[in-house]
Amino acid sequence: MIAGPMEDAGRAQVSDRPVDLRAVRVSVAASARLDGDPAITVSPSPDPDTRLPQDGDPGLPLPLVDGVATAVRLERFGDVRARLFESAAGSAAPEIRTDVQLGPVRVDPRHGSRLREVVVDGWRIEVEVEHERRAVLRERARRGAGVAAHGGPVEVRAIIPGRVVAVSVVVGDSVEAGQQILVVEAMKMQNELRAPREGAVQRVGVAVGDTIEVGDLLVVIH
Amino acid sequence: MASVKPPFRRILVANRGEIALRIVRAAHEMGMEAVAVYSDADTTAAHVRAADAAIRLGPATPAESYLRIDAIVAAAVESGADAVHPGYGFLSERASFAQAVGEAGLVFVGPPPGVIATLGDKLAARRIARAADVPHVPGTLESVAVDRPDQLAGVIAAAAGVGFPLLVKAAAGGGGRGIRRVVVPAELSAALVASSREAAASFGDGSVYLEREVMPARHIEVQLLGDSTGQVIALGERDCSTQRRHQKLIEEAPAPGLTETERRRLHAMAVRLGVAAGLQNAATVEFLYDRDGAFWFLEVNTRLQVEHPVTEMVSGIDLVVEQFWLAAGAPLSDRVRSAADRAARPTSHAIEVRISAEDPARVFAPAPGRITRWTMPAGPGIRVDTAVEVGDRVPPDYDPLICKLIVHAPDRPSALARLRRALDETEIAGIQTTLSFHRAMLTEPAFVDASGLATTWVEAHWDGAASRARAVRVASLAAGLAELGEGEVAQVTALGPGALSDDEPAWRAAGRAIATDRWPR
Repeated sequence: MIAGPMEDAGRAQVSDRPVDLRAVRVSVAASARLDGDPAITVSPSPDPDTRLPQDGDPGLPLPLVDGVATAVRLERFGDVRARLFESAAGSAAPEIRTDVQLGPVRVDPRHGSRLREVVVDGWRIEVEVEHERRAVLRERARRGAGVAAHGGPVEVRAIIPGRVVAVSVVVGDSVEAGQQILVVEAMKMQNELRAPREGAVQRVGVAVGDTIEVGDLLVVIH
Repeated sequence: MASVKPPFRRILVANRGEIALRIVRAAHEMGMEAVAVYSDADTTAAHVRAADAAIRLGPATPAESYLRIDAIVAAAVESGADAVHPGYGFLSERASFAQAVGEAGLVFVGPPPGVIATLGDKLAARRIARAADVPHVPGTLESVAVDRPDQLAGVIAAAAGVGFPLLVKAAAGGGGRGIRRVVVPAELSAALVASSREAAASFGDGSVYLEREVMPARHIEVQLLGDSTGQVIALGERDCSTQRRHQKLIEEAPAPGLTETERRRLHAMAVRLGVAAGLQNAATVEFLYDRDGAFWFLEVNTRLQVEHPVTEMVSGIDLVVEQFWLAAGAPLSDRVRSAADRAARPTSHAIEVRISAEDPARVFAPAPGRITRWTMPAGPGIRVDTAVEVGDRVPPDYDPLICKLIVHAPDRPSALARLRRALDETEIAGIQTTLSFHRAMLTEPAFVDASGLATTWVEAHWDGAASRARAVRVASLAAGLAELGEGEVAQVTALGPGALSDDEPAWRAAGRAIATDRWPR
């Protein structure tokens, strides 16, 4: 129920190998990310001889996924519908076919990255696509800044729109991790928001009766 | 039926969304005019467009629009309506609303106010069940004190008598609101306060009671219709076990695996309770069905249910049409009686999935927003009850249900196959919905063979994040390949040399190639 600070742990594996200038990094967009969502790097085949070995025909050049030649291809049907075919290289198992809807590309003006909504099996995944060299630079910059930010104030922001029906804390209160701090009513349900960690309440940004939108600052815990 | 004089000339629909549209449709098919009401969030909504006239109620907040008894009754009088259909939710189970409609000289399409009031009080309903020899879920028959430290000892003693884990439930409750689960006595006090607060906010009545958690159990409910002579019949049962926090997700009719004897016993219990309560029009009696084959009465909903279409599919009866006839004082029709006679021996199967603007990977949190893509399934045995379309914004002010997809087939396996096919055809983008949950459920053996049907199944087994994880990989690969242009390259190569001409798009060429390959040679 609570949006804490976004962590980018475990996604810095790319720095130990040369950066392919054509490679793109795909990650779930920050606003939609769940813990553990991995980022992948996709690049065109560097070697035209990397082929699907079991195919009788000349086969397709295999793209690299995180540096590994992978038997995956995309067929598009017009602007939106597409089909992804995956198979385990060297295996006789049939290809796995998944229908995919690709939304239009939006350019994020702040980062210059490209955002795209992709729907797979009813899941709406908003992904961010950027050139790998740019992603690597951003990661380096963030890792430098991340050390200082650790242990600082935590901003609790709204992840659902709704109406505040109870505020259980005031500025100066100390709270335990998991303690209820707010109750927000959305679509007829009362959602209890809890403190992401222990600390002192530094700021309360809302009052009972306020209507809140996604991303609104609710409480700051120091 | 076309030549029959309709029961009313003009009706007002006191609701919004898919159910308002569904009622407008029934009215039009019966030759009646329909008047819609709307809030500022719904000025261009489908139910408004479908109606013959529409009257504004007020701002988006339900309390200032769809919950305003005075404004709705005034709209009905002003528009010259003879009757008011409340749908489900909002004012549908408010006795004071039914009363006000009657006092304005109009007909309320539902049970009489006194019956709504009695059965809407879950405690009174439990006492009626006991009197009608219908076993109710063990628990208190009176409300318990909330936030009264001096009476806490008595409440804890009552709770110990009921047994843990137990549920704190709102006497005026419905739709899963106001319910708290209590595992140990120490949690009881906080649960009473939380439940009472949510109940007071939702229903204007903070009284709560204790009920044993029957677990594991299936949720099975019986559709009743009653006329003004006191006749009550059962139109069969529905299994609504696939639910989360008392919010139903999937419903089907008939309940899988019941014997004819069990069905007859269940239907008879529901009818007995309906007769004892003086039921008229439509209502649903909800039961829990435990592993020992016992049915426990839960509550009565004195209105049309969200999941009424599955009963309509299997019984062949249009429940909204029957509601209008019954409200006008007609006796239970021959078609209804004969459907009731057949109800214990169902000959087809229907399944409904609720597509809601909720995120199944984030504990089904509301996910309102704008719909950018909306393709609904079609073909044999498919019914889609919805009031949204592409470009619509799902407002955060109301229930997140945006679409009900219902399939009908000769038996459960073919209904499941049809549902799988229908979900494959369904495309929604712009908002996260429960479509992903329903697709995943069709791969769960516990659901597919009905062996794991239980009200607790979703909370115990559903791992939304894991289900989503595979989609994240596919989505990332697809977006990455699309960015590289690999998709187009693969397309051209896959067709082989000479398959493409300059003026033919690749996808069309591919389709042509496949079609040609199938041609007998």
